[in-house]
Amino acid sequence: MTTELAIDEAARVRLWHRVNQFLFREARLLDEWRLREWYDEMLTEDIRYSVPATDVRGGTADALGLVDDDAARLRQRIEQLLNGEVWCENPRSRTNRMVSNVEILTDRGTHLDVAANVVVHRFGHGRSDAYVGKCRLELVVDGESFRVRRRVVVLDHETLYEHGKLSIIL
Amino acid sequence: MTIELQRPVDDPIVIDDLERLSFRVDRRAYTDDDLAAQETTRIFDRCWLYVGHESEVPRPGSYVARDVGGRPVVMARGSDGVIRVFANSCPHRGALICSQPAGQARSFRCPYHDWTFSNRGDLVGVPIPDGYGPGFRKADFGLARHRSDGYRGFVFVTFDPEQPRTLTEYLAGATEYLDLVDDQSEVGMEVIQGAQLHGARANWKLMMENSVDIYHFRALHKRYVGYMESLGSVPPRRRGGFGRALGLGHGANELPPAAARPLAYWTPMFGAGVRPRIEATAARFVDRFGTERAQRITGTNRALLIFPNLMIIDAIAITIRKIDPIGAGQMAITSVALAPRDEDPDIRELRKSHYLTFLGPAGFATPDDIEIIESCQRGYLNRTVRYSDLSRGMDKEVPETTDELPAREFWRQWDRLMHDDDGHVEAAHRAGTQGAEPR
Repeated sequence: MTTELAIDEAARVRLWHRVNQFLFREARLLDEWRLREWYDEMLTEDIRYSVPATDVRGGTADALGLVDDDAARLRQRIEQLLNGEVWCENPRSRTNRMVSNVEILTDRGTHLDVAANVVVHRFGHGRSDAYVGKCRLELVVDGESFRVRRRVVVLDHETLYEHGKLSIIL
Repeated sequence: MTIELQRPVDDPIVIDDLERLSFRVDRRAYTDDDLAAQETTRIFDRCWLYVGHESEVPRPGSYVARDVGGRPVVMARGSDGVIRVFANSCPHRGALICSQPAGQARSFRCPYHDWTFSNRGDLVGVPIPDGYGPGFRKADFGLARHRSDGYRGFVFVTFDPEQPRTLTEYLAGATEYLDLVDDQSEVGMEVIQGAQLHGARANWKLMMENSVDIYHFRALHKRYVGYMESLGSVPPRRRGGFGRALGLGHGANELPPAAARPLAYWTPMFGAGVRPRIEATAARFVDRFGTERAQRITGTNRALLIFPNLMIIDAIAITIRKIDPIGAGQMAITSVALAPRDEDPDIRELRKSHYLTFLGPAGFATPDDIEIIESCQRGYLNRTVRYSDLSRGMDKEVPETTDELPAREFWRQWDRLMHDDDGHVEAAHRAGTQGAEPR
């Protein structure tokens, strides 16, 4: 017997699965340096991508962060990364993004608030670094898939003394 | 105090040859662990060192805890309003009395045995006090207070009990530039929340050199220059300007802006919306300071190096960059933004946005600086190439910004302190010959 509850549950699992597939594709495109595809196909035109400072961690909107890109600056960042002028990413670093603990915090029909944990391993120029953070996304429903409107990665590191820089897109 | 140098005197690190106009630094200065240890005692234990800005402790009871010159300290504004700098170490057995990076406290309690200190540093509470003999006096066990002083809101500390110079004397010609920064607000400047805490696997002096090196700009920062030129900016060489030695190791570059400045220098990259406000501010500065000084405050970029480890870069935003060695081959970098306390919210957003475009571990320029100084550090592993060269502009009375005068001023002071037993050579202060090489 199919109860209404079970239908709800199945719908939620399907939605969660679609969100997961979306996040995994995003991670794959970023790992494969398919940054223009990522920008064109997975983000809204009013995308905002931010990484708050490790001391305030997004606790205050007035604070200075590490990254706070609107669409234009993110596009600029992507073009610079791809055209070889970013010395610290030339040769390109190898990255491996692990996305887990995916949770749909709110489902407002046309858009979703999603939380996920992310570990980005970066190898290059004789170094290996791991960036560990919590990702908060606002996804806009776009047909059967989504687009990202807001992407905030709150790093769990106290400092980036070891990493030195953040030259990749998290 | 005498510290035996680990090298013969005829084997100098800094070779400053004014006859041949050649300035070379032996690369051991960046790689040698013994030299790094000597820097701690000969430089960081003796100079005045930047702790923070007074706006970081805005109210009675505000404090910040951080490392300065390798030592954990607390900068606290006492309930009496006075800013003091204490050793962050319990006088009893040594634990940190403050393990939060910042906050508000009437007192600090050491978690080890609950000794409690007022925010003025006095020992006010000792559990089970009858365990001590009659000679025990709380007054003998206050927090160790370091000699500290402020100049225009910038707070410095010295760990040298025999430091003969006041802070203002120590800052020498650098005060002129700190004035130009602090004059940017009538009500005072403030550090914007959010510190960029990053670093590099390279010797700390490479970051000091890099921060006053404008020669590298067009080569290393092609991507940023391209981006800025697309917004109408002019490259440094064509903008003019000059480099200066400010005495006691301090130096500066000063040049017309490449782009807008959020205080009072508008260009189209800021958008038409804020133009009337920015131009009104510019007019107010002319009223307050006259045309010439207003132009210097609002319409000129500068990079100020305060020996040994502080950079203040006043351009498209104001950055305070504190650079701390971690042994010979690594450093910690703390970067914060300074802004007028009464800044218009829209202009504050522009300031932060343009700061992030260039600066910090994810900006369009700083990551390449980090990469290149790490690359230098790796290059030094090939000891066949013994010296680095810093002789650009030695033949000029007034070197250009693309010359290396500020870096030479840094190294000359470094060399004096590393050789000198008391570290306080009067000849080092050449305020009368600022801008020129010693001749």
